[in-house]
Amino acid sequence: MMDRPPQPLLRVQHLGKSYVQRHGVTNAKFAVPAFADVSLTVELGTTLAIVGESGAGKSSLARCLALLEKPDHGEIWFEGVNLLSLGRKALLPMRRQIQMIFQVPASALNPRLTAAEIIAEPLLIQGRVTGAQRRIRSLEAMEQVGLSREWEGKTAMEFSGGQRQRLAIARALVLEPKLLILDEALSNLDIANQEMILDLLGRLQAEHALTYIHISHDLRLVSRFADEVAVIHEGKIVEHGETVNLFADPKHAYTQELLAAMPSLESICEERFA
Amino acid sequence: MSQRHKLRAAVLLLAGIQSLILFAGFFAPYNSTAQDRQLPFAPPTRLHFFDAQRKFHARPFIYGLKSDAVNVGAYAVNTDRPFSIELFVHGAPYRIAGLFQARIHFFGVEAPGKVFLLGSDGYGRDQLSRFLYGGQISLLAGLIAAALSVCLGILLGGLAGFYGGWLDNALMRGAELFLALPWLYLLFAVRAVLPLHITQSQVFLLLVAVMGLVGWARPARLIRGVVLSAKERNFVLAARGFGASDRYLLFRHVLPQTSGVVLTQIALLIPQFVLAEVTLTFLGLGVGEPLASWGSLLSSLQQYSVLSSYWWMFLPAVLLVPLFLAYYKAADALQERFKSVSL
Amino acid sequence: MAMKYICRRLVHATLLLVAISILSFALLQLSPGDYFDAMRMNPQISAQTIDGIRSEYGLDRPFVVRYEHWLVSVLKGQLGFSIAYNSAVGPLIWVRARNTLLLTSTATLLAWFLAMPVGMWSAKKRGTWGDRACGVATSALLTVPDLLLFLCLLLLAVRTGWFPAGGMMSEGAAPLGFWSKAKDVAFHLLLPCIGLALTIVPMLVRHIRSAMIEALESPFIRAARGHGIPETRVLYRYALPVAANPLISLMGFSVGTMLSASVLVEVILSWPGLGPLLVEGIFARDVYVVIGVVMLSSGFLVAGNLLADLLLLANDPRVRVE
Repeated sequence: MMDRPPQPLLRVQHLGKSYVQRHGVTNAKFAVPAFADVSLTVELGTTLAIVGESGAGKSSLARCLALLEKPDHGEIWFEGVNLLSLGRKALLPMRRQIQMIFQVPASALNPRLTAAEIIAEPLLIQGRVTGAQRRIRSLEAMEQVGLSREWEGKTAMEFSGGQRQRLAIARALVLEPKLLILDEALSNLDIANQEMILDLLGRLQAEHALTYIHISHDLRLVSRFADEVAVIHEGKIVEHGETVNLFADPKHAYTQELLAAMPSLESICEERFA
Repeated sequence: MSQRHKLRAAVLLLAGIQSLILFAGFFAPYNSTAQDRQLPFAPPTRLHFFDAQRKFHARPFIYGLKSDAVNVGAYAVNTDRPFSIELFVHGAPYRIAGLFQARIHFFGVEAPGKVFLLGSDGYGRDQLSRFLYGGQISLLAGLIAAALSVCLGILLGGLAGFYGGWLDNALMRGAELFLALPWLYLLFAVRAVLPLHITQSQVFLLLVAVMGLVGWARPARLIRGVVLSAKERNFVLAARGFGASDRYLLFRHVLPQTSGVVLTQIALLIPQFVLAEVTLTFLGLGVGEPLASWGSLLSSLQQYSVLSSYWWMFLPAVLLVPLFLAYYKAADALQERFKSVSL
Repeated sequence: MAMKYICRRLVHATLLLVAISILSFALLQLSPGDYFDAMRMNPQISAQTIDGIRSEYGLDRPFVVRYEHWLVSVLKGQLGFSIAYNSAVGPLIWVRARNTLLLTSTATLLAWFLAMPVGMWSAKKRGTWGDRACGVATSALLTVPDLLLFLCLLLLAVRTGWFPAGGMMSEGAAPLGFWSKAKDVAFHLLLPCIGLALTIVPMLVRHIRSAMIEALESPFIRAARGHGIPETRVLYRYALPVAANPLISLMGFSVGTMLSASVLVEVILSWPGLGPLLVEGIFARDVYVVIGVVMLSSGFLVAGNLLADLLLLANDPRVRVE
């Protein structure tokens, strides 16, 4: 029996997207490219970090990968299926597999809904589960992320930033996805909360065999949790490799710049990878 | 006063005034058409607690009026016979909400006494009763027209903001067109060509419909603005990620965000449309007999003689002020309340 | 750059006016009933006579034909035909329009003349009892319906005799010289002008106050103060130009409200403007008069907004740089 190499969970090929804007006074249209030619692969059960400067199109890429926006060209292969070729109905079950966590927890949750309603919303939309079962799943999800069951009736406004991010994670998990895309999900949290959320994410990854794509600009954090790193610059992936190798021996000039801007790189490498 | 209290006070005041008017039949001592040719332009009846012998009566009473022999057209008080104010008296029959018939009025005096708390007009009709009945017409016009405008605004502004593109462009150009129309003029113009042979209630409905149809532009713009910003919120995006349909997004997430704007617009539009109806009727272009609106009560003021001699004919216009004040306060309070919740 | 913008706005305004004309024409033609309804009720006049008159006036032609005729008439300056007055609508309207313009423009000037100092002072003295008193006064004035206001003014005139109770000129004033006539007209203009101005003053004061407050709180004002620039100079040379933008838009917008209110004031105080003409036209079901007045007032509105846009262009240096 031959061991076939498993196909990657996600394969992105030559993805590109630009936005159309209008000039203020003349009203003429012109296109602003967010990213032009992105190709990468992600293996099941691993964590990929995508790093780059602000405004490099990372959020836009995240939204395209999470199927929240349609890219202009390129392909997204998930478990061997080309997602961009699917119609709306066929895409619906695929959406369960890929979920997104946003940067600002407050804006990702409807402040008028209660915690239980927020978490159960994906189930409500997908329409496969009864009301009573939705509540049960909600409460279970709350426990998994470390929120007390008693808070199910609180509105999103009544939670702190870190707790809101937990709510968002609970909501993302309730459909039992395989891939989670985190768009700068830790950037708006203080250090203590960042640690707690990272621990939570690590635990969940082990328990549920999750795959993460982390968009981040914080290389210090990336060095802690990422298996692989992809560097995006001027709309393209310029370098992609295992974290250890990339940090120790960056090949591309831009990667070298990024790492040079980080404080005490040597000490971090020694700490983590010695 | 805190935000909540301000809102509550305004709403209570409004509810109080509205229910007075809703139950006009009960609160008004007379029907709006009951004439008394003996007492045209009678001044407001004074309530007395002390009679001619300086005796105190706990129950207020009034005196009848007789024509003054010296000043033609003026009245002198006839102290021969006092009429005390009774509560819950039997009076002329009226209908509650057009369905139930009743005869009990809140207060009144025994015939042949007449109590004109706000005076009487040229036909001897009690102004207070006509004010209450007229309110039914004018307020109803304002309410329906405002509701129509806002509903149209939600529909069109919501669609324009949510779907964008050519729909948005077309609707916003349309809104600009309607905003450029001097709407009062347009209202007049439509009134101009209504045929002579339709009933007053049909005139009423048509006027209300036109006011509502013309007034959609401003609420639509405001609602579109809210929808535009709401649909970009991440929680809407997240719901899309779960596979939500446009309808779900609109009704569950986006439109509820417009509730603040919608309520404030309603509170601002109602007095505006009430005033439009009153102005039209005042000029003789609105509803006419037998439907009495506030405008018809005021129309006699166009004659100088009435204007200068009979001050109480002004009262219906003055009474509009607290009503509008209540609406504006409610609108202010609503704006404050929803500003803090806004995203 | 600026020329392109101006041209675009002009085209836009013209298209808007054409659209309004079609809309009002359609609305009026679609409604049943016309000038001859009263005649129809009279059994002595036969239906044929009425139809004959109608075709004479061209009222039995299809919609598009009538619209075309009317459009041509507009371009000739005649604006259709008034059946009641038995003359072209144009000459009727121009005189009245001139009077209405006179009234609304003086009222606008008066309103801004009153509102500006009050608004600016209110913004400067923000939070003090003076400011709050102003706030109460403007709120009170806002709640008073225009109808009541105008009736009170009329009452004032009738009771005290200080002001003429209506009309544009006193009787016997016609043969007098220019200056006496002008003074007479101005005297008659006083009351309606004040009334009309008061309808928008509270709204203006509120907006001026908030625009000034916002301008005064911007960082560059604080910097100017820090440089030791005297307060009045800060107010007029620094804050006011910034606050001017929203205020110019406001000016364009206030034209609309003025026009609507002017109908009422003209009728109540008997000022011979477009208002009474419109009301008469409505009673007589004189279609072309009504359309003419609606179009003209729309024209004023659009022109007012256009003017405001152009002023905005002139005032805002950022627009010019692009």
